[in-house]
Amino acid sequence: MRQIIVKRLSMLVLVLLGVTLITFFLSHVIPGDPARMMVGQRASEETLQEVRRQLGLDQPVWVQYFTYMQGLLAGDFGDSIRTQQPVVDDLIKFFPATLELALTAFVIAIVIGIPIGILSAVKKDTGWDHAGRFFSIAGISTPVFWSGLIGILVFYKFFDLLPSSGRIDLTVPPPPTITGLFLFDSLVTGNWAAFGNSLWHLVLPAATLAFAQLAIVTRQVRASMLEVLGQEYIRTALANGIHGPVLLFRYALRNALIPTITVVGLSFGSLLGGAVVTETIFSWPGMGKYVVESIAFLDFPAIMGFTFVISFGYVIINLLVDLTYYALDPQIKE
Amino acid sequence: MKRRWSILTTSLLLSLSLLVAACSSTPASQAPQGESKPTENKPAEPAKTASTTPADTLFVGITADQGTLDPAVTFDNSAWKITYPTYQRLVEYDGGTTEVKPGLAKEWKVSEDGLTWTFTLAEGNKFADDTPVTAEAVKFTFDRTLKIKKGPADVYSVIKEVKVDSPTSVTFVLSKNFPPFLSTLAANYGGIVNPKVLEKEQNGDLGQNFLANNTMGSGPYQLTEWRKGEYIKLAASPNSSVKPALQNIFFKIIPDATAQRLQLEQGEIDIAEGIPNEQIKALKENPSVDVLQQPSLFVDYIYVNSSKGNPALQNPKVRQALSYAIDYDALTESVQEGYATQMRGPIPKGLWGYDESAPQYKRDVEKAKALLAEAGAANLTIDLLYSDNKAWWETEALALQAFFSDIGVKLNLKKIAYATSREMIDKGEFDLAMGVWSPDFGDPYMFMNYWFDSVNFGLAGNRAFYKNDKVDELVRKAASINDKAEREKLYKEAQLIVIDEAPYLYLYQKDFLLPVSKSVKGFVYNPMLEGIYNLAEMSK
Repeated sequence: MRQIIVKRLSMLVLVLLGVTLITFFLSHVIPGDPARMMVGQRASEETLQEVRRQLGLDQPVWVQYFTYMQGLLAGDFGDSIRTQQPVVDDLIKFFPATLELALTAFVIAIVIGIPIGILSAVKKDTGWDHAGRFFSIAGISTPVFWSGLIGILVFYKFFDLLPSSGRIDLTVPPPPTITGLFLFDSLVTGNWAAFGNSLWHLVLPAATLAFAQLAIVTRQVRASMLEVLGQEYIRTALANGIHGPVLLFRYALRNALIPTITVVGLSFGSLLGGAVVTETIFSWPGMGKYVVESIAFLDFPAIMGFTFVISFGYVIINLLVDLTYYALDPQIKE
Repeated sequence: MKRRWSILTTSLLLSLSLLVAACSSTPASQAPQGESKPTENKPAEPAKTASTTPADTLFVGITADQGTLDPAVTFDNSAWKITYPTYQRLVEYDGGTTEVKPGLAKEWKVSEDGLTWTFTLAEGNKFADDTPVTAEAVKFTFDRTLKIKKGPADVYSVIKEVKVDSPTSVTFVLSKNFPPFLSTLAANYGGIVNPKVLEKEQNGDLGQNFLANNTMGSGPYQLTEWRKGEYIKLAASPNSSVKPALQNIFFKIIPDATAQRLQLEQGEIDIAEGIPNEQIKALKENPSVDVLQQPSLFVDYIYVNSSKGNPALQNPKVRQALSYAIDYDALTESVQEGYATQMRGPIPKGLWGYDESAPQYKRDVEKAKALLAEAGAANLTIDLLYSDNKAWWETEALALQAFFSDIGVKLNLKKIAYATSREMIDKGEFDLAMGVWSPDFGDPYMFMNYWFDSVNFGLAGNRAFYKNDKVDELVRKAASINDKAEREKLYKEAQLIVIDEAPYLYLYQKDFLLPVSKSVKGFVYNPMLEGIYNLAEMSK
């Protein structure tokens, strides 16, 4: 196992190198000039050239790439053109918000999705099954901008139960940063006001995002459960008098989970990079919003930093998914 | 195997407990909810009819976070809503007009040749840290801007030297006469910076990194907190001579328009900046919300490439034909819900130099067809370049396509990424292109010299690549003398030519619309300061 981890981690370096290379050159061949975005449209050519020089944009692309990689190796993502701040600082501010939202949504999707999937499989073609499938299909086919707004309308405007935006109230000081995850940090420091408040803010956006992810989980669980339940060893188990929860959870679910984990793990990756719409609707200060603003500004360093972090996350998730295989299925051994 | 099984169960249990925590949020959330909206529990009035926010705090919903706040760097109008109230300038815009009044300078004089401007500073103005504002600080500010050499330096490239005559007197020596100079001093980049910013200097950046996130001015407010992606907070500066009624201002970042509207209706914010026109009508019916409506100097127009695009467009008759094809009333109605005014020429209504008597294009399909026939340009096919920069451009493009097909011109719509479109416009790689423009300072120079002087080809301003020697001569002359009446005459003469030759399709000036809670008082709209609030004079 250790060998595999080492091997995969060394692959990670290659993957990230490839990612930086592709993103860097892609973002630099796109026509458009960040210097121009910065100095305003009406600037003279001289000013424009001066700013290009200051940003290093007057150098050949490969020199720029080399300089960038040199910084990257030292942990420096460069300065954002738009905010003029180190990209690292921006990412540290925005990434935990996205992670917190994605994690919560992920947990909700799993905790609700797996039971629904099992129920659908066990009670195949009954009212339970139809209801469960309807619920999850409704989630995946409802655009987030719509379900999010409906959520706001109902829980914020009509019932005034939940807030409509942000991670925490303006009047509640956020917990001291340990991980940047408000729930975790406030819990660790025993700051109950911040914990309750940030949880209260998390409910709607996380539920919205989870609703959209739910179908991925339920459909996968249902399909693989059905497949597993039809297999011979289950019949054998049944014949041996094993039934009920033991059969279901110990014998069937365990095997059904393997394909589920791949799908669900990768969908978590897309949650990280793809929560843009949810973040916009709920004014969630995450990376999605940050990168969209950066792209509009041609803020290369910020775009690169974002891509780097997301690719890193994806590779790590992939690795975790594979490791979970080993944990679940002793047969998979290299 | 057993151990692994237990790991799985534990993790499942853990996630379950998290969910339980998430579902049982009600008791935990009671307290903070009460804290944040203290008046909400009062039974009498529903939240919708009265502001639930404290009377000395203003909440403004904005759509995006800000970039750098350094007045010597930022060229982004949206950042100015933060910097304008935190700095002071030598002169300030007067109320709702495009004229200037004394600011940090109580008086000034200009030499006969327009090259020497001397300002006498008023006493008693202090930066937020109690340092007095002196002539030295004024010199420091402009020297710094010129050394940093970013966008604002361009505006002040005309400054040859800034001299300190005494602690309260400062003289600007210009390299050439530049009549709009005084007006540029009232713009955001004229904000006087505390020289102590040098204590925050890193790697010789003259404090750029620090001022990107902080303010060091003498304005009535200072930036006290900025939670990225969430809000920007201003608080009244303790050392300012002005004592405002609003002690705290929160600029809350709410990107989604509907979310902003709901928060305004719920009384959670007092001003909502991001409401599109189609939602304005519904908001107008809300008894607790006022929608302020004023003509703005923000214009929407089409660049007709007069020298580098389709050769047919080099003929003024073809450009006139396009101008006659448009039904301007229908256009503003469909694209801006009627919240716009048709332009008469380049200079918008509300800015001096606007000519009430100048001819204005009206839809006349027959005339347009005749002009095309005269020019030998029947069956013309041209491209329209636009981007997603403005949400309404899509509708506008379709409307124009329909109008032009009525006169037999086929319009191909080319929608591309904003940044790319700017490059193409700069190089002149288009036939027609959509654009918007708003002036940085209150002088017709912003329209006439930028749009028509042939030295400004490209994004710099003359985006139609239009060259007319007579127009060049007129606008350059108008930019070299200080006699306002004479300048106005020259601009009017030039305006008649460029209306007739139609290198641009002069579409409309947008109305400034701002949904504001009825409880907010004292806001004065200045067309030069769109999106900027006179916070110190406002109250709730």
